[in-house]
Amino acid sequence: MIISVNWLKKYTDITVSIDELTKLIGERLVEIEQVIPLAEKYQDVIIVKVVECGPVENSDHLNLTKIDDGGVWQDVERDERGLIQVVCGAPNVHAGMSAAWLPPRSTVPETFGDTEPFVLGARKLRGYMSNGMLASAKELDLYDDHRGIIEVDKQVEPGSSFAKVYELDDYLLDIENKSLTHRPDTFGIIGFAREVAGIQGIAFHTPEWLTHLQSTTSVEGEAVEAPRVIIEDTQLSDRFSAIVLSGALESAGSPLDIQTYLSRSGMRPINAIVDVTNYLMLLTGQPLHAYDYDKFLQVSGGVNEVRVRKARLGEELAILDGRTLTLTDADTVIAAGDVAVGLAGAMGGADTEIDASTQRILLECATFNLFDLRAVQMRHGIFSEAITRLTKGIPAPLGIPVLNQAASMLNDLASARVSSVVTEDYPGKRGALEIEVSLNRVNRLLGTDLSALDCVEILGNVEMPTRMNGDALVVSVPYWRHDITIVEDVIEEIGRLRGFDEITPMLPIRTFSAVTPSPFDALRARLRKTLVRAGANEVLTYSFIHGDTMQKAGQKQADAYRITNSISPELQYYRQSLIPSLLTAIHPNVKAGFDHFALFELNKFHTKRHDLTDEAVPKEIDSLGFVIARLQSADGSAFYEAKQYLEYIAKELGTVFVYETLEADTDYPVTQPFEPKRSARVWNADKTVRIGVIGEFKRSVAKNFKLPTSIAGFEVSPRSLHHLAEAAPARYIADSRYPAIERDVCFRVPVTVTYDALMTVIDKQAPVSEITVATAPLDLYHMSESDTKNITVRFTLKANDRTLVGQEATEYIEQVSKSVQNKLKGEIV
Amino acid sequence: MSNNSIETIQRDLLERVQTVDVPRDVLKSPELKQLYGTIATLPAEERGPFGKSLNDMKAILEQAITEREEQAESAKIVALDVTAPWDLNTHQPSLLPTTQGTQHPLTTELEVVIDIFTRMGFQAIESRQIDDDFHMFGALNFPENHPARDGYDTFRTEEGFIPPAHTSTMQHRILKNGRADLEAGTPIAAISYGRVFRNEDVDATHEHTFYQVEGVFVSKTATLGEMLGTLRSFFEAYYGQQLRIKTQPAYFPFTEPGLEFAIEKPAALGGKPGEWLEMLGCGMIHPNVLETAGIDPNEYSGFAWGGGVERLVMLKYGIEDLRHFESAKLTFLRKFA
Repeated sequence: MIISVNWLKKYTDITVSIDELTKLIGERLVEIEQVIPLAEKYQDVIIVKVVECGPVENSDHLNLTKIDDGGVWQDVERDERGLIQVVCGAPNVHAGMSAAWLPPRSTVPETFGDTEPFVLGARKLRGYMSNGMLASAKELDLYDDHRGIIEVDKQVEPGSSFAKVYELDDYLLDIENKSLTHRPDTFGIIGFAREVAGIQGIAFHTPEWLTHLQSTTSVEGEAVEAPRVIIEDTQLSDRFSAIVLSGALESAGSPLDIQTYLSRSGMRPINAIVDVTNYLMLLTGQPLHAYDYDKFLQVSGGVNEVRVRKARLGEELAILDGRTLTLTDADTVIAAGDVAVGLAGAMGGADTEIDASTQRILLECATFNLFDLRAVQMRHGIFSEAITRLTKGIPAPLGIPVLNQAASMLNDLASARVSSVVTEDYPGKRGALEIEVSLNRVNRLLGTDLSALDCVEILGNVEMPTRMNGDALVVSVPYWRHDITIVEDVIEEIGRLRGFDEITPMLPIRTFSAVTPSPFDALRARLRKTLVRAGANEVLTYSFIHGDTMQKAGQKQADAYRITNSISPELQYYRQSLIPSLLTAIHPNVKAGFDHFALFELNKFHTKRHDLTDEAVPKEIDSLGFVIARLQSADGSAFYEAKQYLEYIAKELGTVFVYETLEADTDYPVTQPFEPKRSARVWNADKTVRIGVIGEFKRSVAKNFKLPTSIAGFEVSPRSLHHLAEAAPARYIADSRYPAIERDVCFRVPVTVTYDALMTVIDKQAPVSEITVATAPLDLYHMSESDTKNITVRFTLKANDRTLVGQEATEYIEQVSKSVQNKLKGEIV
Repeated sequence: MSNNSIETIQRDLLERVQTVDVPRDVLKSPELKQLYGTIATLPAEERGPFGKSLNDMKAILEQAITEREEQAESAKIVALDVTAPWDLNTHQPSLLPTTQGTQHPLTTELEVVIDIFTRMGFQAIESRQIDDDFHMFGALNFPENHPARDGYDTFRTEEGFIPPAHTSTMQHRILKNGRADLEAGTPIAAISYGRVFRNEDVDATHEHTFYQVEGVFVSKTATLGEMLGTLRSFFEAYYGQQLRIKTQPAYFPFTEPGLEFAIEKPAALGGKPGEWLEMLGCGMIHPNVLETAGIDPNEYSGFAWGGGVERLVMLKYGIEDLRHFESAKLTFLRKFA
């Protein structure tokens, strides 16, 4: 929305500089996106009198003029009378007129600010010197008009500044509409001016005509019976008022100052009838619409009735922009009798359009359900200035004063006579509202120390009469402030108009107590740091994925929450685990030249495989996904590279993980991408807590994601890790003071015996009580084709009370050897 | 050629897929070639349907071939001893070098933010990534069909769940859970942080997925002045210097009054006096929001705020493009070593 500062000045004093004004508006009303100064653009435009005008020889359209600039422009060729010669091609140029002259060396306003602005000079046209030019509305950057040059319609001395006379020494404020959606009053210059007064601490006075909430029009000449207005459903409209005017001249134009105010606000002047409705809308926020009343009666078949009703499903309506809409029953129409002649609040119909033959007009002033209109905007793509205002909820009482003023202006400018009384249906009357708020409450919420008098003045400035009742303020809410309904709304107004920045920032006074950081957050931070220390890179990837990605990972779309309204096809589903997102990131990084790297993400996933929570929303699964990729194939399977990382985490958390081959028929989204034969389910030591899954990926998955040969990963639950870490408090065990004995033992076991199976047998072989034994793998060897393999283990034996002798170690190893022989058919090599 | 014979040939070929060494060769069998050869000899009107039934058969064969190939592939896959510390005949794999590891700048910064608020006495609660209309809108004084809902460009799931468009989706829960403490005399002081989602096109300055931090404070005496003080205190701690602040009226259905909050650009970011950075939206909690959570707005008042995390990170490091954050590109991530 564009707000003209000069227009504001017609309704309020502005006592501060433009910089201070924009700062104040920003701090106390609304964000200004841009301030556009106009003065410089129009600084050289001079009003001149065309003294002589005659055709140029050998030209079918050029005229030779002599103009009087009052002698104000320097260094320009003049004749003996001081007149300046200008050649002009406009058909409407004539002697005696006043025009806007762009003198030599001035910049054509239309090109002002361009990279190569057009600067005028004196040059010959058809052999005649032309000094500068007489300007059209287009050249003045007012609006597109090819009819000719503008005709200055004010009686002013030649040489007057065009900018001064038409108040174009202006600043335009480009307002960020979004934060004013609840303030329909500010969508009119007068309402905006009221705010500008209030934030400056100046009392505002609404123009008198706008305070007459009853009709002030009187019928002139032959009276016409106004159509009956019927709002069929009170939900559709609060108020619909109309009046019949006769004799309006469609050909009449509006005065240039109205035209310039319209055009600087972004609206194109058309003719006096349209311009008056637009002018009043910009001024008050209240849109108006004019129907050709005779056409209206023709369409209605003589039924003198305006109906506001729901459209019928499939009903067609030709509207003013040339389209024919097919309506739905959520649309509201204005009907002549039963026939729709306008889409309520949005656009008039073609059948009742004003044209040169129009004798009588029916002028409408109404409000409509703002929620309905919002849907209409979307459904039919209509974003006019009128509907923009109506969707903010224009207050119904505004209608009559605007209709009064419209009738009066149309009489002045287009010779229209009032031919009927105002006719209306007004089901949405609201009672007056008073809000009582204690001064203490105001100060308590804002953190201020305002007096009652301060508050009365602040509110009074914006015409909210306030009286005192004991220590309470009793505020009368004006009709244009429907948004004020509760005590807090009044407090906001006081704080805002006075300036929130006037409030002293302070810290809350509270009894202090230490806040314990969330232990789960602490664990996640620890996991991050652990993996980073181990050379991995943390990533963040989207929570939503494409259905294809899910399928590529072997996951079922039916289990995923589907997004129905995404504007991007990439965001179809909530992901059901993190691994597919990580796998998607592998190929681009390999292509970018990274040949050995690990990615991880700590995030959440969602799947319909879980029940809803107590709050009936989907359960959120915290997850840690990890993938390690290597371009060249490694020694050994990638599985063990990933496992190395998981073991590193176990060590960091002081816990132990147990690995169990992933069963082939496992049907859970997290495990889907993993190849069961080369993957494991991960448990805690006693297999009571599920940690997650680790492994290599299915061949199909590797192919689908273009994965390098060596790749593996895991997806584990940080909640489970948190649980284990809490159960494994860090404890320090002192080393024995006595030397240890190390024995490296190589076991030959059948190839089917797992490493864990061997270690379980070994661990069960308790040594004598005072001796502690630690084991660690040294070597795993398998000769190809052989049905046995060798596992070499280092035993470290210690006693806390003495130096062990070799014999003790030997006896222990012999016992271990026997167990391995008995239970696993293994032997010591 | 009758359909009957096509069926017979299909049965034979399917059987062959299961028995031959190279199942894909079945597609080159003479029977199939012959069948395709006959198309040209048929009357024009029969060619279409016949060709279609041939193609259907070919698709069935291909599926059977793929299945058998996958079975063969799978049979070739050698099972691992998942309990072993490393692979047979190899040695313990090493971890990647520490110098290569990096934490994501966003989580790094989020940890800093959470740490400051924790020290200021605020509990940190992670925000949900999927929620319902009630928590996202209803409990926050957004009536049905309210125009303010549009500003949030929310995604929706088939079931009507919402990927939250602001971390305020946690506000009602924080208020409700804190009510008992509040009544016992302890103010509610909490932040919620996490991912939020807006249904918009992605470019250098717009993302459909980003992070926010929301704060809530409720006590018997909370004022707007205290809100300004609390926020200024946070930013001063974050930037390690004194800062000037300013506000701008704003409209959020869940605050009354509502404000935009800006700080003067800190020297650490190369700021000069008079340069302002809009940081967040804030306001006094709307009485309807307190009431919905069972807190009496006549007895208690509170303030809340919410702002983006990416902006802090981008300003701090001079990151030029919002899209880097979720790109998972090592070229970006490794810059934060």
